[in-house]
Amino acid sequence: MTPPELRDLLADALALWEIEARPRVAEGGVVLTSPDGAVLRVVAAAPGEHPVRWWLERPGQRRPCTSVLGLLRSLRNAVGAETGAVRRLTVARPDP
Amino acid sequence: MIPVSVVTGFLGAGKSTLLRRVLRDPAWADSAVIVNEFGEIPLDHDLLAASEESFVSASTGCLCCVVRDDLTRTLLELLRRREAGEVPRYARVLVETSGLADPAPILHALMTDAALGATHALRGVVTLVDALHGAVTLARHPEAQRQVMLADRILVTKPDLAPVPEAAIRALNPAAPLGVAVHGAAEPDWLFAPAPRPADLPDWAARHTTGIGSIVIEREAPIPALALTLWMQGLAEQCGPRLLRLKGLVALAEQPERPAVLHAIGHMVHPLDWLDAWPGGNHHSRIVLIGERIPRHFPARLLAAIEAEVAAEAARRT
Repeated sequence: MTPPELRDLLADALALWEIEARPRVAEGGVVLTSPDGAVLRVVAAAPGEHPVRWWLERPGQRRPCTSVLGLLRSLRNAVGAETGAVRRLTVARPDP
Repeated sequence: MIPVSVVTGFLGAGKSTLLRRVLRDPAWADSAVIVNEFGEIPLDHDLLAASEESFVSASTGCLCCVVRDDLTRTLLELLRRREAGEVPRYARVLVETSGLADPAPILHALMTDAALGATHALRGVVTLVDALHGAVTLARHPEAQRQVMLADRILVTKPDLAPVPEAAIRALNPAAPLGVAVHGAAEPDWLFAPAPRPADLPDWAARHTTGIGSIVIEREAPIPALALTLWMQGLAEQCGPRLLRLKGLVALAEQPERPAVLHAIGHMVHPLDWLDAWPGGNHHSRIVLIGERIPRHFPARLLAAIEAEVAAEAARRT
């Protein structure tokens, strides 16, 4: 995923969570400012860092994420979006 | 298995009128009708003139609020009485919801209750929309919007009084077959036919969403099953209760020659069904997502990101 594609995905996710934070491509990744004023940076991990795929950074902290779903989860926490809406898939009983 | 069809629609849409007409049809007289009324005095129940073969049972309270207990208990109790010869041996059940009911919990109960699953099968959801008031009702009432969004078939009533509010309906549900009925005169064989599969749906045109509406996701390349599963999990997690329905035909990378039928209501997913062949020779995956205030491109962008990760992981392992 290119940085502009990542920016677009994160912008959609932030809109979904109703968080005002305009992500932009910068510093080799995507940078945004969370509602508490912290500057967050999302960068792709280097191939040698597998299984880490993404790093979510804020001043003094660097959180590894092994998937884009994990990245969204971490970012959601980082920007203080509501987390109570998390739902797991449930499989309906099979039709006879 | 006894087929169960859900008839819903906002207050005054004509549900009871329709069912009264249906029960008069000799071919449909052997139907049990469960009427849910929001209020303490069952009134619609009395207005439904049951034939000798049909049977009408009333439940009060909001069905969608007490559905797991009430509907399950009512259906199983009806079945017990049917087997005991205490009520006519009905061939199907029609559930009329209250005008204020959200059909989703009702569908969840029908899809997931183990006891019901052994004896009953959900046939589909028929939603009635009043031509005279439908557009205003759909604009103002979330319950009415959800009723239309979750419909497998939509019947517009009172088309002799006002134009069919097709734009308002299609903004919420672009694909469900649409019919019209004057004074409840609709063809039961069409109304209560099995829910159409996505292959039968006539309109895959994209509809934008800024509030409640539908989003169409199309893919030319087959989608790995793992990516599809992760995507649906991600949607359920991130969209939460705003995700109302997913329906589509998917070319899975593991078996692209046969389309997989995807069907989910909220976070409840039906096991994949398979068609024998692709309809119309178009082998592209196409999925309709119905939801509330979901950014238009989010589902497709999320899917692309997950597909890329799954492909990268597969490449790393080989």
